[in-house]
Amino acid sequence: MSHITQQPLTYVGKPARRVDALDKVTGRAKYIADYRVPGMLHARCLRSTVPHARIVRLDVTPALKVPGVHAAITSEDFVDHGLYGFPIKDKYMLAYQKVRYVGEPIAAVVADTPQAAQAGVQAIVCELELLPALFDARRALDPDAPQVGPDRADGQHPNLKGDHMIVCKGDAEAELAACPIVLDREYFTDWQEHAYIEPEGVLAIPTPEGGVVVYAPNQSPFINQGNLAMVLGLPKSLVRVIQPTVGGSFGGKDDIIYESSAQVAKLALLTGRPVRMVFSREESMVASYKRDAMHMRIRLGADRDGTLRACWFRGIIDSGAYASETPFTAWRASIHAMGCYRYQACDVDVHCVYTNNGYAGAFRGFGNPEVCFAVEQTVDELADLLGIDPIDLRLKNCLRLGDETVHGQKLTESVGLIECLTTARRISDWDRKRAEYGRQTSTEKRRGIGVAVMYHGMSLGAEGADSAGATISILPDYSVEITSGLTDYGTGSRTVFTLIAAEELGVRPERIHMQRPDTNTAIDSGPTVASRTTVVGGNAMRLAARNLRQTLDMAAANLLQCDPRQLIRDGEAYIGPDEEAVAWEKVVDHARRLGLILSAHGHWSAPKIAWDHHHGRGTPYMAYVYGAQIAEVEVDLRTGNVQVLHIWAVHDIGKVVFPQGAYGQLYGGIAQGLGYALTEQITYREGYLQQTNFESYLIPTSVDVPEITGVFVESAYSHGPYGAKNIAEPALVPTAPAIANAIAHATGRRVRELPINLERVLLGRDLQPPASTQPARAAFHIPVRSTPQTAPVART
Amino acid sequence: MRIEFILNGEAVAVEAPPDITLLDLLRDYLNLTGTKEGCAVGECGACAVIKDGRLVNSCMVLAPQAEGCEIVTIEGVHAADGGPNDLQQHFIEYGAVQCGICIPGMIMAGEALLRQNPHPTRAEIRLALAGNLCRCTGYQQIVDAIEATAKGRRAQP
Ligand code: FES
Ligand code: FES
Repeated sequence: MSHITQQPLTYVGKPARRVDALDKVTGRAKYIADYRVPGMLHARCLRSTVPHARIVRLDVTPALKVPGVHAAITSEDFVDHGLYGFPIKDKYMLAYQKVRYVGEPIAAVVADTPQAAQAGVQAIVCELELLPALFDARRALDPDAPQVGPDRADGQHPNLKGDHMIVCKGDAEAELAACPIVLDREYFTDWQEHAYIEPEGVLAIPTPEGGVVVYAPNQSPFINQGNLAMVLGLPKSLVRVIQPTVGGSFGGKDDIIYESSAQVAKLALLTGRPVRMVFSREESMVASYKRDAMHMRIRLGADRDGTLRACWFRGIIDSGAYASETPFTAWRASIHAMGCYRYQACDVDVHCVYTNNGYAGAFRGFGNPEVCFAVEQTVDELADLLGIDPIDLRLKNCLRLGDETVHGQKLTESVGLIECLTTARRISDWDRKRAEYGRQTSTEKRRGIGVAVMYHGMSLGAEGADSAGATISILPDYSVEITSGLTDYGTGSRTVFTLIAAEELGVRPERIHMQRPDTNTAIDSGPTVASRTTVVGGNAMRLAARNLRQTLDMAAANLLQCDPRQLIRDGEAYIGPDEEAVAWEKVVDHARRLGLILSAHGHWSAPKIAWDHHHGRGTPYMAYVYGAQIAEVEVDLRTGNVQVLHIWAVHDIGKVVFPQGAYGQLYGGIAQGLGYALTEQITYREGYLQQTNFESYLIPTSVDVPEITGVFVESAYSHGPYGAKNIAEPALVPTAPAIANAIAHATGRRVRELPINLERVLLGRDLQPPASTQPARAAFHIPVRSTPQTAPVART
Repeated sequence: MRIEFILNGEAVAVEAPPDITLLDLLRDYLNLTGTKEGCAVGECGACAVIKDGRLVNSCMVLAPQAEGCEIVTIEGVHAADGGPNDLQQHFIEYGAVQCGICIPGMIMAGEALLRQNPHPTRAEIRLALAGNLCRCTGYQQIVDAIEATAKGRRAQP
């Protein structure tokens, strides 16, 4: 590295403006539903109204007779019936032979208007023969359970998704037997809907050369492109995927968008016209994947002084009718199941099963919020039992620099957990409140304060190859254009990349323009998941900008007739030994005169790691982020109502690159964690989703979310750009257990199931629906979006 | 039918069926797509506009009900020079924007509040936003931005 870049940071870590904010505050940003393309047709899906059935007859020809309908497709219209999926190929772009959940797409119709498309859908002849269905994940592997998953050749139960994910250290049973204190608890976390405010939608435009351009608000355009090429039977060069502005995703706009992309792309190719499909909220809720539900049993062994010795953990994940990414969720859950503590021994086993309850996929936190809810409450129960302050108990056991994790990974740098915990304790006035609230006698309202800690492995870890590419170039007007294969679906990564490029190149961020993610221009960088964008994509961007910087430095040295090491920078300008400043544009011009190419790319791969799936040992992630959250609540003992009064959140995320964006991620994650804890109830009754819009699926409003005090501990990570780690997912991981622990502190009653709704707080149990209640099929109704017709507008 | 009203300060007349919502009238017949649809049942506030000085969810208003009214949408919110106004600038400055899909509705809610109550407390700001869902931000920086705008407007002569 040249000495010039060792100056203090100019843009990274400093106040900055989000690059796309102006378009968003003025309403100019274009989301899929805002596109108006000449000749555009509208598509709709026929979706299953039963949880499990064989398709005995499917005839779309009657739809073609409906006025306004142009085409209709089924799985027959795709290569290999549109089979796709990773890591398990088990889903079809349109159902083939069977449907396995209510809302699964069976056929798609395209017409002049959404209403005509819907009329076409209603004309389709579809006969379904009901199959026995499976709704209880705990029964899924019984020998007589209805088969939901595909046949397996390896002798395993077909309802097992992938494999058991294990972590092992020593002999956990023997260690538990030797512990004077053992807690044995069961926990359950329910499904969670992403509830991005923008429902799904895709627009496909056929190209003159027989290909297709797809505008898709997906997280990972290259995966979409690969799927499309495969099921459409086209070379990748004829499939271009562009990500428009995305109205929120949180892990939720992958598979469901790939599927819709394939449907509209096929219809666009068949009709030779642009085709768009936009979901209503109800369709979004019913059709899209969710956070899995998880049944957990945890046995925690400790000494009387609170030293943790052993953790035994079993998790069964109900991830519904298809695998999506949940085998990876199970793996991440297994790695984090025992919490961020030291143990002598552990035995963890987590597995996913098929059921006919919708389906689950990626969702912010990816298995960690589920297991954190269990382990962080169990640790609190242990503290109560032993009469030890919950923070003291955690400080005694939590991971520190130099420790070896239970997986066998030595933590050699960037472990800020102790500082997170002690800071949160101090700023929340924990000790005083903990003592004071312990003495309350009111029978009306009581306060409580609770804590939870967490760690979260960075990026993909042993889930897959972990590298990214970035490009940078200087345009004729002296602006700088950058691209990344990793995308920004509201997270702020375009701003992060812009700041990194500005820092390395030594130019103002305003000069830099980041292109929209586009498979034609960006370098495939793997999936935009696992909060990996800042670290993996950021490093690639840093390298790209450095490569370009080297070219400019050479040109400047040549222009100023000095050695590149003699150059210093004053703002954007270059200064040589004779102390005269030369404008950046002059240096660019000179570089061009020298024939130098003013573009570069960078490629970065994460440090090699290895995980032994058979023995459950190894190095699962390159490094971890850490965090502690403290929640203060007031519980109304008469109604069960819980008001969260304040949350203190202290997270070690390494060097903060874009502070405003990082705080936004923190606050937003906490709000999602708060909803997960208290109000977001997803109920599959016999496979039928009972909450299909925001009047029944309650995400937190501005009066539910309290003021939040956020603090970042910047424990630098040597492989992160400028020492950065990440924040997006970890923010929501400890929120639900912190709130649950605060409720237990206030009421003395521990709720071991999510969400912690009024009746669970008040009665400690659920109010059961009366036995006569039939599956609420009436709740399943997908309204059609209204008329996007153009009509004459007269201005008077 | 023909519907006439004042839209962002300009008189308009639109030919549209009587059974559509004001939201659809704006988006599909007037091509103003800054107003968003998040739920279509009056629960999310993404479609919020100001109708005769009051914040309404345009998905819950039938298009003919706009007849003779004064409607302001996000496209009608800007500074005198056409750039972002102080509230929009504070949204940018305070990091109140993430995915952005809720933001037009939030800006309308903020404007409606500040017209009625130039001195809102943070709790009052939160109450005024209670009909506007945001899944990204946790609301804190949105409250910050509205609070800063209120202060700034009070300081104006
Ligand atoms: S779209 Fe009108 S309130 Fe949600
Ligand atoms: S910024 Fe995404 S919903 Fe508010």
